Amino acid sequence: MAETVVQHETKVEIGTPWNVVVHNDPVNLMSYVTMVFQKVFGYSKEKAQKHMLEVHHNGRSIVWTGVRERAELYVQQLHGYLLLATLEKSD
Amino acid sequence: MLIHRLNEDSIEFADIEPIEADLLRQIPVLCDVRGDSRAESRLFSNPADSGEVQFLTDWEEYVRPELRHIFVSARATVEKDLGTMVDRAGFPSRLVILCAHGEAWLNALNQARLILATKFEFSDEELSLHEVPRSFSRRDLVLLQINFYAAIQERIIDTLEGCTDADGRE
Repeated sequence: MAETVVQHETKVEIGTPWNVVVHNDPVNLMSYVTMVFQKVFGYSKEKAQKHMLEVHHNGRSIVWTGVRERAELYVQQLHGYLLLATLEKSD
Repeated sequence: MLIHRLNEDSIEFADIEPIEADLLRQIPVLCDVRGDSRAESRLFSNPADSGEVQFLTDWEEYVRPELRHIFVSARATVEKDLGTMVDRAGFPSRLVILCAHGEAWLNALNQARLILATKFEFSDEELSLHEVPRSFSRRDLVLLQINFYAAIQERIIDTLEGCTDADGRE
């Protein structure tokens, strides 16, 4: 007798990750941008400076990736510090 | 003008020359962007591309008023602090602000610099220039003003390092 195997598949939907992107702005000072990254994301000075330099040299830096709600909140906080920040779907 | 930590809680602006006092008093005035759509659009930049329709609608409705509140509060704090500046005829002025007001000062100075840069349409190159101008047109003087505010921001950031936050964090 043939045996019937029933497979149960559980699909766990994982939300698409979202990027918080900061764009270059000649007015915002490098020291100010570094300070803001430390305050908003709790980054070490070294990590904050790395992102700041990425913004400065490449014109943009993905400063955080994760769930949408949190990304929205970070973008809002960065705008409060007058940084040019956007929300983008991660590839 | 000298900017330094006076004690654990305060920052002192000492030996403020009259022209520096005048430039400081201009900060809250400059931050008022009512009626200037270009300056408004820089202060309230887009948080996502136009495809994020719902997000942008919600942002306009809920976030933008909050951002405006942050900017207006920062300006009000600076204005109030400036009201305590001690002036004596013939002598430099003096101003003491709380470390807790440091972020408001940084925010208001940033607003003023962004608004001036937008109004006078300075290019990235001009804003990065640190040379003494050859002429002293209104535009050149505004660039000096932007750089003067940048120097104050740098000093405040330096003095804030090590300051205790209002919630007790370093």
